[in-house]
Amino acid sequence: MGCKNVMVYVETAESKPVNVGLEMLTAAKEVAEKVTAVVIGAADAAATAIAYGADDAITVDAAEYNTEAYAAIVVELVKKYAPEMLFVGATPNGKDLGARVAAKLKAGCVTDVIGMKEADGKIVLTAPLYGGTIYSDVTVEGTVVAIIRGGAFKKAEEPDTAKEGTITAETVEIADLRAKIVNSVQEISESVNLEEAEIIVAGGRGVGSAENYELVKELASLLGGVVGATRPVIEEGWVSRAHQVGQSGKIVAPKLYIACGISGAAQHISGITGSDYIVAINKDEDAPIFEISNIGIVGNCVDALKIMIEEVKKMQA
Amino acid sequence: MKFHFSEEEQEIISMVEDYAIKEVGPRAQEIDEEERFPIEAREGLAEMGMMGVYFPEEYGGAGMSYLTYIGVAEKLAEYCATTSIMMMASESLCAWPIFQYGTEEQKQKFLAPLCSGEKLGAFALTEPSAGTDAAMQKTVAADKGDHWLINGSKIFITNAQYADIFVFFAMTDKEKGTKGISAFIVEKGTPGFEVSGHEKKMGIRGSSTSELIFNDCKIPKENLLGELGKGFKIAMTTLDGGRVGVAAQAVGIAQGAINDALAYVKERVQFGKPIWKFQNTQFQLADMQAKVDAARLLLYRAAQAKQDGEPYSHLAAMAKLVCAETASDVTRRCVQLAGGYGYSRDYPFERHMRDAKITEIYEGTSEVQRMVISGWMGNK
Amino acid sequence: MEILVCIKQVPDDSVNIKMNPATNAPDLDIATPIVNAFDTYALEMATRLKEAIGDSTITVVSVGPDKAKDAIKTCLAVGASKGYVVKADATDTISTADALAKAVAKIEEAEGVKFDIIFCGKESTDCASGQVGTMLAEDLDVPVVTNLVDIEKIDAGISAKQETEEGYNIIEVAMPCVVTVTKPEYEPRYPTIKSKMAARKIPIGELEIGDVVAPAVTVVANAEPPKKAAGVKINEETLEESMAMALGMMRDAKVL
Repeated sequence: MGCKNVMVYVETAESKPVNVGLEMLTAAKEVAEKVTAVVIGAADAAATAIAYGADDAITVDAAEYNTEAYAAIVVELVKKYAPEMLFVGATPNGKDLGARVAAKLKAGCVTDVIGMKEADGKIVLTAPLYGGTIYSDVTVEGTVVAIIRGGAFKKAEEPDTAKEGTITAETVEIADLRAKIVNSVQEISESVNLEEAEIIVAGGRGVGSAENYELVKELASLLGGVVGATRPVIEEGWVSRAHQVGQSGKIVAPKLYIACGISGAAQHISGITGSDYIVAINKDEDAPIFEISNIGIVGNCVDALKIMIEEVKKMQA
Repeated sequence: MKFHFSEEEQEIISMVEDYAIKEVGPRAQEIDEEERFPIEAREGLAEMGMMGVYFPEEYGGAGMSYLTYIGVAEKLAEYCATTSIMMMASESLCAWPIFQYGTEEQKQKFLAPLCSGEKLGAFALTEPSAGTDAAMQKTVAADKGDHWLINGSKIFITNAQYADIFVFFAMTDKEKGTKGISAFIVEKGTPGFEVSGHEKKMGIRGSSTSELIFNDCKIPKENLLGELGKGFKIAMTTLDGGRVGVAAQAVGIAQGAINDALAYVKERVQFGKPIWKFQNTQFQLADMQAKVDAARLLLYRAAQAKQDGEPYSHLAAMAKLVCAETASDVTRRCVQLAGGYGYSRDYPFERHMRDAKITEIYEGTSEVQRMVISGWMGNK
Repeated sequence: MEILVCIKQVPDDSVNIKMNPATNAPDLDIATPIVNAFDTYALEMATRLKEAIGDSTITVVSVGPDKAKDAIKTCLAVGASKGYVVKADATDTISTADALAKAVAKIEEAEGVKFDIIFCGKESTDCASGQVGTMLAEDLDVPVVTNLVDIEKIDAGISAKQETEEGYNIIEVAMPCVVTVTKPEYEPRYPTIKSKMAARKIPIGELEIGDVVAPAVTVVANAEPPKKAAGVKINEETLEESMAMALGMMRDAKVL
């Protein structure tokens, strides 16, 4: 084992651990003798964390997520329990939290960790650079804060609900917050679960228009899948940014990824390489997306979508 | 003799290239396909101060050198030929004669808004029966004491539908031939002045090309540009400058085609390797680049002479002749290099070829350039 | 108001970086150095804030080599009026934040000012760690608000619109503070010939800040991602035929 003790901050949404929170437990078990999960403001999630691999868990009561408050809590726990590594999921909040904790602890921090291995008794972390075109291996002096990318590790297939572990409740005093959230507005109401989707149908600029994008949505819905999109599509406003896949959006790992009119910029490709099976449709036969696709269809993606929709309807009839 | 832009000039050219990469190039295909005027670039370039690059700051210009302007025009054409001519028709053909021949009042009233880009300019010489034979002007300006009364029409006028200020030419004394032609300024919206239709063209399709109709159009006395009867000279000297601009456009188009071709041949795989690896491809492109650079040197020589106030009509003619013919040749060869894709409208090659052709025609055809060059040779 | 914008010069992110087999390092020569996109958003937001409230100065600072002066010069043509480059042995986020914190103190001393707001891009496009702004705030012991898409001056300090997964938060914070900026609804402005010429005349300061904290993160190796083997490319006479073939293969692979 490369290290004795890893602390994993398991982020929760509606009191349930988010995927990357559980995935990190798998990664932690591979490198550490002891894995301690931390859940804040959602004590029920502690048992789930143990079932997914944590040896024990710490719960802290707190109000809704606030980076300043949550970082203060995690910092206190790290000081008290002195883990060699702290894992945080690379969600938007997780990235904020990890950086803030590292700043307070003056700890080395690595964002978007996608791999972990031991070499010469040290833990080597892998993270993408230059939009995912280079993978960089790094080592860290002292306490490590690793912000781990979703989809990089697999969570335990079956939770071991019989597994036992100590759950300790801690209390941390929070000083007055300096930045006050005066209003929180939800603009995107649809729930888009790209990270856990088994099938994703995604479109790029090549789809051509918001109207054509309806075909992407139709095929996704027929297949029981989730709609994905590239950054230009989000900027065009054809779908909300909750659908964005890639370096600046969601990192996905479905069983089937259908890419329509996506040329395959590195920023997008780095978000989909975890997919089991990629089907790409593009009119440009030299499009880089074909280099990573199981099947590449050269042709107009709008017409191809129409044909595929008809075929799937026939299959389902 | 130096063969490079100064650091200052280069910064402005790089700045416009950055803009062209982000804003002009990505729209080039669309404005061609839809025959749509490049309205975004018209506004963007105005904000950047590109509509008055080489005019003094006192008239709202940027006070840069003429070479900078030529570098800017060339760079724009590399990404979109239509956008470059939109800028040049206003700057070389409308703002320049007003700057050169206008009164102080005319400069304040017309040149300043052209330089700031608040207003767009156009130049109107050609008529249905007065093309290369520009002396055959049928448009007439009659002196009515307190105003000029204009009747006639002009065709193939670049920027027409979007222009606010037009420099145009009309006969003030039919007896005197070319010495009876005078230059005038007319503003959009003047009663009796109408811009009509949209010429459907082979290339530079987003450029607005229309007919001007003068029907008992009254324009103020003070809108006479330059001296009475000096219109032909004003037109010819304006076109000398315009030719340097078109030569820059031609070089830009050719370079743009080469750049696209080079990217394409490095991607395109046939017989198991990128076609760039075949020597024919390499030699074709090497030939093209050498020709374009040769043409470019003629362009810069003409631009430098104009900037230095030396006689340059023949230099402009040589530059335009060679640059335009080079552009046509190079763009045609780039279509050939890309084969079926070269012919496809999904790729930029055929557009470059169509755009290049106009540079052999407007601001004087290649034949006119030969007339100018041989005329200069005969007089030596 | 005194505004500082921290910028980083990065390789053009539209270019795919590859390894250089000769040096066994990423080949950065193929990409033009540019100002990190998120930093350009930060500068634009700062400039709009300055235009809204008036009577403000924007200073840009970059930790980097001499070449980073080009990036600063670019910023001086689109809103900033002073620029500094900081030379420091900073190779990770902790050391970079430390260098910036020390630079802040130096600039404040040299100019006789106190910065009210320090803008950073939310991350750089090359390393994308998104840590430096937060770490800088910690080093300076001031509050930080991340992922801004808009900012407004209010009596109590600033009101920041922070992008969240589902929408946005409105966050109020006192000055001085650090903010990090993500892509707002607008694009950064282009320079004008006049602003570009004016920027040429502004001298760019060089700051010596002495030692910075030792970097904690060390790169041990770089590599290109393992290539996923490409499958088949289908380009039949008609799209119908291509699709029939593709669907058949997808059925055989049991993904449909």
